Amino acid sequence: MVLASPQDTLWYKDAIIYQVHVRAFYDSNGDGIGDFLGLSQKLDYLQQLGVTALWLMPIFPSPMRDDGYDIADYYSVHPAYGNLDDFKAFLAAAHQRDIRVIIEMVLNHTSNQHPWFQESRGSRDNPRRNWYVWSETDTRYRGARIIFLDTELSNWAWDPVSKEYYWHRFFSHQPDLNYDNPAVREEIWKVMKFWLEMGVDGFRLDAVPYLVEREATNCENLPETHAILKEFRARIDKEFPGRMLLAEANQWPADLRQYFGDGDEFHMAFHFPLMPRMFMGLKLEDRKPITEILQQTPAIPESCQWCLFLRNHDELTLEMVTDAERDYMYDEYAKDKGMRLNLGIRRRLAPLLDNDRRRIELMNGMLLSLPGTPIIYYGDEIGMGDNINLGDRNGVRTPMQWNGGWNGGFSAADPETLYSPLLLNPVYGFQAVNALSQARFDHSLLSWMKHIIKVRKSTPVFGRGSIEFLYPANHRVLAYMRQLGKETVLVVNNVSSSAQAVELDLRRYKGNILIEMFGRNIFPRIGDLPYLLTMGPYQFYWFRLRRV
Amino acid sequence: MAEESILTDDFLRELINVGEVDILIGVPTYNDAATVGQVVQAVRAGLVEYFPRERAVIVNVDGGSRDATRDLVRAASISDLQRVSDLHALRTLHSISARYAGDPAPGTALHAILTAADLLRAHACAVISPSSANIQPEWINQLLRPVCRENADLVTPVYCRNKFDGLLVRNLLYPMTRALYGRRLREPHPAEFAFSGRLGNHLLAQDIWSQEIGQIGAETYLVIQAVTGGFRLAQSFLGPKLRIDQAAADLVKALRQSVGVLFWALQQHPLASATNGESQPIPTNGPEHQVSVEPVRVNRKRLYQGFTHGVAELEPVLSSILSARTLAELRRAATLAEDDFRYSDELWASTVYEFAASYHKAVISRDHIVQALAPLYRGRAYTFLVENRDAKGEEVEANVEALCQTFERLRPHLLEVWDGGK
Repeated sequence: MVLASPQDTLWYKDAIIYQVHVRAFYDSNGDGIGDFLGLSQKLDYLQQLGVTALWLMPIFPSPMRDDGYDIADYYSVHPAYGNLDDFKAFLAAAHQRDIRVIIEMVLNHTSNQHPWFQESRGSRDNPRRNWYVWSETDTRYRGARIIFLDTELSNWAWDPVSKEYYWHRFFSHQPDLNYDNPAVREEIWKVMKFWLEMGVDGFRLDAVPYLVEREATNCENLPETHAILKEFRARIDKEFPGRMLLAEANQWPADLRQYFGDGDEFHMAFHFPLMPRMFMGLKLEDRKPITEILQQTPAIPESCQWCLFLRNHDELTLEMVTDAERDYMYDEYAKDKGMRLNLGIRRRLAPLLDNDRRRIELMNGMLLSLPGTPIIYYGDEIGMGDNINLGDRNGVRTPMQWNGGWNGGFSAADPETLYSPLLLNPVYGFQAVNALSQARFDHSLLSWMKHIIKVRKSTPVFGRGSIEFLYPANHRVLAYMRQLGKETVLVVNNVSSSAQAVELDLRRYKGNILIEMFGRNIFPRIGDLPYLLTMGPYQFYWFRLRRV
Repeated sequence: MAEESILTDDFLRELINVGEVDILIGVPTYNDAATVGQVVQAVRAGLVEYFPRERAVIVNVDGGSRDATRDLVRAASISDLQRVSDLHALRTLHSISARYAGDPAPGTALHAILTAADLLRAHACAVISPSSANIQPEWINQLLRPVCRENADLVTPVYCRNKFDGLLVRNLLYPMTRALYGRRLREPHPAEFAFSGRLGNHLLAQDIWSQEIGQIGAETYLVIQAVTGGFRLAQSFLGPKLRIDQAAADLVKALRQSVGVLFWALQQHPLASATNGESQPIPTNGPEHQVSVEPVRVNRKRLYQGFTHGVAELEPVLSSILSARTLAELRRAATLAEDDFRYSDELWASTVYEFAASYHKAVISRDHIVQALAPLYRGRAYTFLVENRDAKGEEVEANVEALCQTFERLRPHLLEVWDGGK
């Protein structure tokens, strides 16, 4: 079922996206693993939170050696989550609540258990031989970096069956598909079409920079890759208008820009470089890292949108920072080396911020007011914690904590059979942090998140408006104007742990009254003098400007 | 009437924008556009390289410059609006400039710096001379590291000086400070130095700022306070010191700011508490002394003539300051031909001590006492130049050491003349 609501082809600009792992959300059949029926049962919760789109992590059959990013069958769903009918029922239920559904689509590679790879490796004459990238030596494409530094020594792996090396940019059990092969491209289109016809509203395309390899390059962001992606987009626009493509490309802003094309490639892309700088700015108590990266962010086509996020299922990536910045982030946010993985930090939002409610609110305030579509990672709306002892990135993928009862309300199964242990410690354990408890109180983090999302949705300025930074002399204050048509919103953030006084040059808006958007109280009119605000630690304001 | 604040409203506003810092670098200026740009850029580079994570600020306290001094300082800021292509700074670095209230005076500038440091709760501070055009970024590390990482309270510089430079320091300030306070501080009147917030607040609390001493000699007084107050001392080798044109320097002004302060400070601490034992070295990063011997032009004749004329003209004044014996030796020395004249270590030390005692007893105006020392100092400077004319660096240093030991050995003479007769 396709969403029945009016087709605004730019719906993603106003979206509030919630990233969820089906496995981790709610188990309906007591087998210890979340499923589609369970997810369906929690759609009301998501609707009440204010979510307008869901991004599902991989739902495909998989040996689960990389949490589903190693796909073994593109035309089905993992049996642990249910079947295709369950998925369709979930999709319909989501659409009934005006919640769109974006699914993960891993284009770059498959599981080595995928029948395509099993055939490809069968012999050098197999028709699917060239569906993957084979080589007699492991010396080709030397310019390509290794992404999973903690586990992989090379981008080539020796296959003892076909006695050749195969190319893999991620784990060695995830061989890269060969996009130089038209047959591969056509098959992937068929996959996408299969799901689009079912009614999904878009794809988050995983690892797109790496589709094509060429000698004497770093094998990232190549023109050939963009050409392939544009082709997919053109076909989607023709046959499925209004569907959305979201790029996962962990690149510098200038390189990310290419993924938007002229509005003919991706609709959205994650702004990876901004995210660590938000955390950096908070620790430095200095807006500089944030404003600088946004100053370097190029303009994008009008129909396109950045995706902003604080945390996700992966480590907090520190690939797109300098060595000095990375060292600083490790020293400040990951003193325990067990928290570090690859080039990142595998912690959830609340633990990263020392469970400081004020900082959690401030970071969410920036997430929801900077230009872009915000993505909330499941569980962060209630301040869930993490468990770095679970290995890889599994510590940030623990079961959703619904209540303080049996298995945190996640599952009726025996605790030992859960796909992952629950958090039990007194600070983040399910008895201390859960949705049911927080729903009962107006001043809980969950209630606050509902409120701020509601305020954000009260105006299209945040999703579609321009941004102009003010640069007050007090570097601890990040201030900017968001504008769309006649509507103007002033956002002021104190990124420091101490009270601050800040003078803002608002003379251009002289005569306007400021109306604080949460309490809707009136603040003094803007005059000729600098506008003085005093702010508590980590406090932020959203003001609507109004001329009376 | 309300006391005028040393902080103007504009200055205060700038400090509010800066907020709490870990490091404050003060640069006092008055029409220093010729050199201050290089200085603040070196300071900035030093902060970015050696203290990248610390919250820092450069605070220029200006006495009312009419040139581009203040603009040059402000241009050194690093922010999201003002980036430097060859410096990648983790955080914002404010470089602010403000006019302090009152007339231009080094002590008043230091007062403003200390006040700013107190308000911003700076853990470590440094003062850098705006005319040190040869400053390197490493100076920042050398001065601040002992404070930031090793809990030092005061870090004074050690320079590589030409053997004919720093004569006042070598012949009077260093030997006297060492003899009276027992610490071998090479630069008791430093142009650049670092100190802890703790020491800064201690000095700020002293009741000197409305007096002349607070306006002209606060740096020297800070050093003395550090030495006598049980604070942790350190020295750091900075490298070459830019030569000052001796002829252009105002000797009387320099004496007031240094020797005058030393004499005044002796009033504050019972002389009996002055050390009796041998002076102690101070922990030093790098060499404790270094002398360069490249040839420089010096006008020895002018110094000799200044001495002889001074002795003759100031005879009545000197007779009220010096003991009969010291005065007689001086008269005899003044009659010698230029090539034969020498102001011996013993005579010089006795001279200085008797001046100090006369200052203490205020036998005449204290300012006149300090002024009267000028021609005698010229005689001593002449002697130093002659005796070290062909000397290598180590020999110069040995001569300075000998003078210091003479000062230490003649301490009892100071005690004798302090409250007693001449």
